[in-house]
Amino acid sequence: MVKGIEKYGIPVVHICTVVPISRTIGANRIVPAVGIPYPLGDPTQGEDESRKIREKLVTRALKALETPVDEQTVFEKDEW
Amino acid sequence: MRLELGKFVIKDIQFAEESHIENQVLYVNKAEVEAMVLEDDKLKECHLDIARPGEATRITPVKDVIEPRVKVSGGEIFPGVIGKVSPQVGSGRTHALDGCCVVTVGRIVGFQEGVIDMSGPAADYCPFSKTVNLCVVIEPQEGLETHVYERAGRLAGLKTAAYLGELARKLEPDTLEVFETKSVFEQAAQYPDLPKVGYIHMLQSQGLLHDTYYYGVDAKQIVPTFMYPTEIMDGAIVSGNCVAPCDKVTSYHHLHNPVIEDCYRHHGKDINFMGVILTNENVFLADKERHSDMVAKFCQWLELDGVLITEEGYGNPDTDLMMNCRKVERAGTKVCLITDEFPGKDGKSASLADTCEEATALASCGQGNATLKFPAMDKVIGMMDYIESQIGGWAGCVNEDGSFEAELQIIIASTIANGFNKLAARGY
Repeated sequence: MVKGIEKYGIPVVHICTVVPISRTIGANRIVPAVGIPYPLGDPTQGEDESRKIREKLVTRALKALETPVDEQTVFEKDEW
Repeated sequence: MRLELGKFVIKDIQFAEESHIENQVLYVNKAEVEAMVLEDDKLKECHLDIARPGEATRITPVKDVIEPRVKVSGGEIFPGVIGKVSPQVGSGRTHALDGCCVVTVGRIVGFQEGVIDMSGPAADYCPFSKTVNLCVVIEPQEGLETHVYERAGRLAGLKTAAYLGELARKLEPDTLEVFETKSVFEQAAQYPDLPKVGYIHMLQSQGLLHDTYYYGVDAKQIVPTFMYPTEIMDGAIVSGNCVAPCDKVTSYHHLHNPVIEDCYRHHGKDINFMGVILTNENVFLADKERHSDMVAKFCQWLELDGVLITEEGYGNPDTDLMMNCRKVERAGTKVCLITDEFPGKDGKSASLADTCEEATALASCGQGNATLKFPAMDKVIGMMDYIESQIGGWAGCVNEDGSFEAELQIIIASTIANGFNKLAARGY
C-alpha cells in the first residue's frame, strides 16, 4: 500500500514496529512504532500515557511527511 | 548429556477395564482418563475417542498433538509444566510410545486450530493421519477467558500423555537408541576434523495465545540460551500456541524435532553436532535486535562453522529469521534456513515477509496457500462449526454435506517449517 500510494506522487510515512520489513518492502519514510500488538500506545502504561505516546508518534510522522528524503529514512527522534 | 530413548511400537488403541500395554496395543481405561482431565475445574466435560489411520474420520479443531513418554530415570517428563522442574531432563532413560498420539480437541480457542483427516486427500499432508490417535475432547466452563481455556486444554493433553507414558515405565522397549552430546570442549575435540554445526531453534513467542514454554517459562520472557538437544526429547519445550495449523510446532514435533534427529544421524560422520541455541520471536523490535545479536554472539563464541535455523509461524517471525541469518553470517558462521512459504492463493506475492542478502541457502517446506478439496467424512471428532473461520478457510467454503475447500494451512503440520513433512520446493 505504501508503494502503491507513493507511485501516484503522494508521500507516505509508514508507522510500523518491524522496521526491517518496512525497509524490505521499500518504504521511504519510516517511524518505528511501539509493538506489534499495540503500535500507537502501551496498555501497560495506562490510557493517559498511551494518548501521550500516540500524540508524539503521530506528530513525528506528520513532521516526517513534510521532510524531503533522498533515501530510505527511519525517524527515530523528534528533532532532525 | 547422554539419553537412552526406548521405543514401544503401538499398533492400536482400545478402551478397556484397565490401562496397560500388551502385544503392541495400548489399552486405555476411558473413565479413569476422563476423570483425571476433569480434575481441572476449568473444564466441564471431557470425552475420549479413538481415530485410526484409514478411517473416514475428521478431527477438528485440533489444539495440540503429543507423544506419550515417561522418564524412567533422570527427572520428570514435561518439566516445569506438569513434571518437577528439577533435576533437569535430557539424560538418563526415557520410554516413548511410538505410533500413537494424544490429540486435544474442542471448541476453538483462537482461530488458528487445525484439521486432521484420517483418510482421503488431506491425509497425505498430515503426519497424524498415520498414527493411532487418542482424542481428548474437552468442553470449557462457561465464560472462561481464552488464555485460561488454552492453558486447561494444554494441561489436559500433557497429563494424558504422561499418564499413558507411565504405562511403559517398567516394560522392555522394542528398540533402544542412545543420543549423546558432550560438554562443549569435549564435543569439539571428539571430531576435530569435522565442521562444528549448531541448530538455532526459534520458539514461537508472539503472545496472545502464540506461546511456547521452556521448562515452564513463557518463551517470550527468555533471552537466547544454550541447551543440550536431548533435553527437548524429554519435553523441556511444549507448545502452548494457536499459530497457523500448517506450521504449528506441536509438542509432538518438539519431542521429534527432525533437525535434531537428522543432525544426530550425521553426527561423527560428516558433521560435529555441537548443540542447540534457543531463541524466540517476540513482537518488539528491540527484542528481535537484542536476541539476534545474542544468537550471533553464541555462534562466534562456540566457533561454529555452520548452523541450521528454523522458525515457527510466518509474517513478522520472518524478520527474526532474517536478522539471525544476517548477523550469524557476518559473525563468520554459515547459515542454512529452513522455512515454509506463503505466496498467496495466486502464488504472486513475496513468499516471505522479509529477506536479506545473506540468505543464500534455504530449504523450503512447501507453501500453505494452495487449496485442497476435503471430502465429507463419516465421523467428526470435535466439530465442524468453525471451519470457515479457522485459518485457511473462508466464508462459504463448507458445503451442506460436510465437504469443504480450504488452503493447506488448515491441516495440522502440512508445511511445518522444520521439515517434518514431505512438501518441498526445487530450484531450476
